[in-house]
Amino acid sequence: MAEAHNPLEQFQIKRLVPMDVAGVDVSFTNSALWMVIAIALITALMLYGMRRQALVPGRVQSAAEMAYEFVANMLEDNVGHGGKPYFPFIFSLFMFILFANLLGMVPYSFTTTSHIVVTFAFAIVVFIGVTIIGFALHGMHYLRLFVPSGVPWPFLFLLVPIELLSYLIRPVSLSVRLFANMLAGHTMLKVFAGFVISLGALLGWAPLAFVAALTGLEILIAFLQAYVFAVLSCIYLNDAVHMHH
Amino acid sequence: MTAEPPSPSLKDLEARLGRLRERAGLEKEGKEERGGAEATPASAMGLAFRAGVELAAGLAVGGALGWFLDGWLGTRPFLMLLFFALGAAAGMLNVYRLVRAMNAPDGKTD
Repeated sequence: MAEAHNPLEQFQIKRLVPMDVAGVDVSFTNSALWMVIAIALITALMLYGMRRQALVPGRVQSAAEMAYEFVANMLEDNVGHGGKPYFPFIFSLFMFILFANLLGMVPYSFTTTSHIVVTFAFAIVVFIGVTIIGFALHGMHYLRLFVPSGVPWPFLFLLVPIELLSYLIRPVSLSVRLFANMLAGHTMLKVFAGFVISLGALLGWAPLAFVAALTGLEILIAFLQAYVFAVLSCIYLNDAVHMHH
Repeated sequence: MTAEPPSPSLKDLEARLGRLRERAGLEKEGKEERGGAEATPASAMGLAFRAGVELAAGLAVGGALGWFLDGWLGTRPFLMLLFFALGAAAGMLNVYRLVRAMNAPDGKTD
């Protein structure tokens, strides 16, 4: 307990299995460990849940089916029929972020998604993938995305850079949103938990109640941010597939 | 894998899903309720956060891009200032699109 006083200490990367490949540090860290746990749990949920494929689903099968339906509906609502081929990617993305966020709520665990490297890696994959899909489907016509229609041509010198920038902002805002939510939430939890100890048995109850409420809120945010990340990926995908605005 | 095999199998899947849904009598009824779900307080907070991050990211991306272009072209302060303003405009444009998408009946603009 004594070493955990700093509220930012929970975000520290620790090397569990030091490894070094050609001068590059590829150690297996606590972050990597919790990523592996997230993937193992998702795989277990899907495989164990669907092993019988009962017509009347049990609890685990219900959870697996709900996750599928949720993402399938999200894709259908935001991209339409053109989005079907990208379902596996969006589903993996959503489930991984959701599980990483939720596992972060387990005491003594590590929140993988509280590091911008991780969230930015997701965002840049989405960004590059969407751009490639856009060019693959529309060819050079995809560049029309940056040219607003019905604008007098002198304004294009101003508007095209703005459109281009607004496209380039996407991966940054996508990753910062998830990372900042996780970082802020978990720091706040730790800070208020610290108050419980320092205020003692007499006054410590107020922050304790607050921490309890905050924990509920954090679980909600874990869901919400996974949803927002997936939904925005769908919206960007929709732009690439249908190209309207 | 080439581009050819996935599309027929996906179409197959689509047709089978459609037939099964029709038989079970649950063809497309979730559309309406999903539109209303957007207005819960939780996603209102998410929306507010989205808008805020969008503005900040606009400034950051614009400033950073201008900085790098400056270093490349040797025009130190000017391009950064220009792109900072453009980034701010782009951030506002993104927020505008976000809010417009929220007001549209089914989340689709135009």
